[in-house]
Amino acid sequence: MTQRITSPTTPWGLLPRRTWSVLTDVPIFAAGLALFYSILVLARYWASPFSPEVHISNSPAALPGYALYSLLRIVVAYFLSLIFTLVYGYIAAYNSKAERFMIPLLDILQSIPVLSFLPGVMLAMVSMFPRHQFGIELGAILLIFTGQVWNMTFSFYSSLKSIPAEMHEAARIYRFTDWQRFTQMELPYAALGLIWNSMMSVAGGWFFLMACEMFVLGSRDFRLPGLGSYLQTAASAGDTHAILWGLVAMVGVIVLLDQLVWRPVIVWAQKFKFEQVESAEAPRSPILTLLRRSKALRLLNQRITRPLGERTALYFARRATSVGAAPDPKIRIWILRAIGVVTAIGILLALVDAVRLLGQLTRPDFQALGLGVGATFLRVFCALAIAVAWTVPVGVKIGFNPRLARIAQPLAQIAASVPATALFPVVLLVLIRVGGGLGVGSIVLLLLGTQWYVLFNVIAGAMAIPTDLKEATDIFRFGQREKWQKLILPGIFPYLVTGLVTAAGGAWNASIVAEYFHLNGQTISTVGLGATISHATDSGNFTLLLAATILMAGVVVTVNRTLWRPMYRLAETRFRLEG
Amino acid sequence: MSQNANEVVRELLTAGRMNDVVMLLRKLDLPTAAEVLAKAPYEDQRAIFRALPIDLAAAIVSRFPYYHEYVLLHSRPTKEIRAIIDTIDPTERMRFLDELPEEAWQRLMDELSGTTIEAPIQSDVARVSEAAGLRPAKSAEYIIEARDIEKQFQQPDGRQIQVIAPLDIYVESDAIIALLGPSGSGKSTLLRILSGLAQASAGTVLWHGKPLADAHPNVAIVFQSFALFPWLTVLENVEAPLIARGEQHKARHRRALHALSSVGLRGFENAYPKELSGGMKQRVGFARALAVEPEVLFMDEPFSALDVLTAENLRGELLELWQKRLIPTKTIFLVTHNIEEAVLLADRVIVLSTHPARIRADFRIPLVQPRDRKSAEFLVYVDYIYKVMTQPALELAPPGKVDRRTKPRYQMLPHARPGGMAGLLEFLNERGGKEDLYHLAEDLLMEVDDLFPIVEEAVLLGFATSKEGDVEITREGKAFAEAEIEARKKVFRDAILTHVPLMQQIRTALDRKSDGAVPLEFFRDVLDEHFSRGEVEAQIETVLNWGRYAELFVYDPENDRLLRRDSPVLHDLEHPGVPSE
Repeated sequence: MTQRITSPTTPWGLLPRRTWSVLTDVPIFAAGLALFYSILVLARYWASPFSPEVHISNSPAALPGYALYSLLRIVVAYFLSLIFTLVYGYIAAYNSKAERFMIPLLDILQSIPVLSFLPGVMLAMVSMFPRHQFGIELGAILLIFTGQVWNMTFSFYSSLKSIPAEMHEAARIYRFTDWQRFTQMELPYAALGLIWNSMMSVAGGWFFLMACEMFVLGSRDFRLPGLGSYLQTAASAGDTHAILWGLVAMVGVIVLLDQLVWRPVIVWAQKFKFEQVESAEAPRSPILTLLRRSKALRLLNQRITRPLGERTALYFARRATSVGAAPDPKIRIWILRAIGVVTAIGILLALVDAVRLLGQLTRPDFQALGLGVGATFLRVFCALAIAVAWTVPVGVKIGFNPRLARIAQPLAQIAASVPATALFPVVLLVLIRVGGGLGVGSIVLLLLGTQWYVLFNVIAGAMAIPTDLKEATDIFRFGQREKWQKLILPGIFPYLVTGLVTAAGGAWNASIVAEYFHLNGQTISTVGLGATISHATDSGNFTLLLAATILMAGVVVTVNRTLWRPMYRLAETRFRLEG
Repeated sequence: MSQNANEVVRELLTAGRMNDVVMLLRKLDLPTAAEVLAKAPYEDQRAIFRALPIDLAAAIVSRFPYYHEYVLLHSRPTKEIRAIIDTIDPTERMRFLDELPEEAWQRLMDELSGTTIEAPIQSDVARVSEAAGLRPAKSAEYIIEARDIEKQFQQPDGRQIQVIAPLDIYVESDAIIALLGPSGSGKSTLLRILSGLAQASAGTVLWHGKPLADAHPNVAIVFQSFALFPWLTVLENVEAPLIARGEQHKARHRRALHALSSVGLRGFENAYPKELSGGMKQRVGFARALAVEPEVLFMDEPFSALDVLTAENLRGELLELWQKRLIPTKTIFLVTHNIEEAVLLADRVIVLSTHPARIRADFRIPLVQPRDRKSAEFLVYVDYIYKVMTQPALELAPPGKVDRRTKPRYQMLPHARPGGMAGLLEFLNERGGKEDLYHLAEDLLMEVDDLFPIVEEAVLLGFATSKEGDVEITREGKAFAEAEIEARKKVFRDAILTHVPLMQQIRTALDRKSDGAVPLEFFRDVLDEHFSRGEVEAQIETVLNWGRYAELFVYDPENDRLLRRDSPVLHDLEHPGVPSE
């Protein structure tokens, strides 16, 4: 049953001539056609005028279309993120002056909860394009972009910085052109990191997309046709039949994406692993094998892609060897200075305006903010505590037992890949029926979104504990308590910290949609900072919105610096496994 | 004056008038004659020496350094060697025999007493001229010339660390040049400056007379850790520099395959680096370097990452390629810390000292390939290099080029542990107390980088002395080697308190405080004044190792501080809650 593919690292030209002729080419052509058609349809749709009452159908028959729309939004946002990542990361890695402010900026931007931008961005986009649906689409895409881009940029930047010096030296001494350096050294080196972070980003993108496909802003009701809005409508109407179909579609899309896109890409990217010795276990993907064996694709590669790559490389080589006049550096400096000044003025103006706006805060506003921060903080803490309480024992159990891991991991991955925000309306319904206020119920919602990060990290940490340490505890007959105290907890500590940081960030984000909800025309909410933000958005109280957003961002950044950073350092020094 | 003399000598030799050469040398005064002989190419040197009458030969040869003297002497038959040595001035003779390493001395004695058969020696004239025919005469012009180059590194706190003191170095054509030095001596930095990868902080580097920065030197580097791109096949790796030069597919394909054939990797074109062994990966590195047909081939410790047998194999293949002129490279510049490798491969050896880097020695090795590792001549050169490297740091640069910025050096502890030193002293003790450094290295299978710090530690603490390439155990060292563990610790403690001022400072500081605790940061600040950040950490680690072994103090990692052994704080740490006496 287990058949190993012949080394997945052999290049195109060497594969055996054995192909399955037409049968392999048909699905590929079909996929290409479908992609092309959907772009056409979307282009037509976006240009249509703003229809304030977009009707979200309840019938499952509309699901494929909705799924496609949601998917396309994610894809566009992803490619925007990718371009941003490549440019920003490249500049930050190679320009030390820029690096000094670009990276801290990235750090801060990463800590700001994305959903707090939701109202602002949406309103801005809609006011820019009042007549077309395009405005809301753009807003949604931009929002997803802000959720996806930061970790990809960090990964690309740190990959670039950690390229071994000797590779750089080899590229310099052999006079690689810029193009060669980029395509043969920098991009491949960063490939694996980029791919894993892309997967994480896209998963995060689903989370935000579900929340922003349908939301109410004051008197306006923004709706985008898609899976998120479908689920929300179905939940409001209490249509369990539709809800189930919606969830099935959701899971289906994610599984398809995983199998058709991520798996093949990961298998292909194994050749970028910076290892000196081939690892024994290579992941495999049947789709990739299909693609590799396809005759049509091989022809495409030989006739078009390869010669194109060759021409580009030689073009750059010729440009490099011919002597050209260097662009006047003085002009460049002045242009940069001008841009810098304009940006600075813009930032200053914005700050002045913001401060003026903040000056209008009233006493009850401050009270609400203070209480809100405390309440949400407590909730996040509880959610994390509960998450740790169950994921650590379960995770360690799974991590120590490889057989169990093989069964449990795929299941957990599927469960985790369903974005929590899609489930929120469903869970909320259940909570309401059961009784109990949103105060405690929101903890459940927070938990839903964040426990998976902790679980996966704990499993990874448990797997990473070396066998000889485990054997030592057995030989020396450590009791359960001692084993946990001396081996397991310190061993998983670094991973646990990583998981907690991500979980905490996710929890703060989720609180914005978890503490304040529209359902069936009712508004359910509880005391909390997230609720304050949502409420302020609803009532159009921009002052409070601004203050609450700044407060939330400030809390997250402070906790990052004061709690997580020292824990990271502890994980790096005291709890590192190798010497 | 001697310039003209050399030209005259050359002319006479080409005309075959050896007797006239001898007459010329006789007319010159001794120092000048020796200089003229030294400046001549080696093939000529030996030919001339063979033709000299005994008295003149004896007078001239004793002016040469002992390793050169040994080789020159052996260009004559044994009877004549005996005669020459008898004729040499007694003081000079004594000096010569003293400086010779054991093997060479033994062989010389055997020859002189008639117990060895006259075996053909490597510097045989006939073989020299045969080999010489394969390589053209050297050109006088230097390919790379570096004058007064220095390198400083900026520390984060703004201080400058001098890595390379102002020095001159040149790379001539048609030679294998080895740059020797212990790790961290700046030799890799020097290689990068000469190849154009890095900029010197001061000084000029010329490529064929033009500034290096403006010229596009055709050089290649073979790296210690291969520097192959794991996602490209072997062929793609080798072709990459050719693509950079804009070569078309067919031409570069052919060139790359040719390069791969010459390193014996034909058939592996489509393999990925992770499928290859270390030796094969380095062959790919070579192929890539050779594919661009560089004028100077730089190699940065190319065999260090390989196991002994593979390294040996590759060295032999490299030599074969070089000697058979299968590669168009004019010069090979090899950086290494392996003394034997340098003597095995190089025509010219440059030895660097460290902190900062200065040229300690720059000499030629005239031995003909293939060189026999066990032969006396080989060992003469190896011994000489050990001698050079263990010379105390005297002013080695020629006058006028002294680095005026040097301050009296703060004592730098060698990075060695008490355990290693104990092993060395025991070994020495068993061997009778005295041993040649290169013998030690050979017997202990240690490289210079590992052996020297241990020897330095023993010398620093007064357990051994190092002179002229020999290590001799002292009385204290003997006591240390023969004592039991507890007694050893006491001896060690006394030694570090006597010889290491920093340890004395620590002891005083600990005694002065009532709670017997001193933060380590204090001593870090002291060391920070004199060493770079990385070196400070290494020094602290050494201090901790030595101090803990000597049971001078206890280290508290939680609070990063040193504690006296009877400190009340220590008691609290180890026995929380229990009141101290």
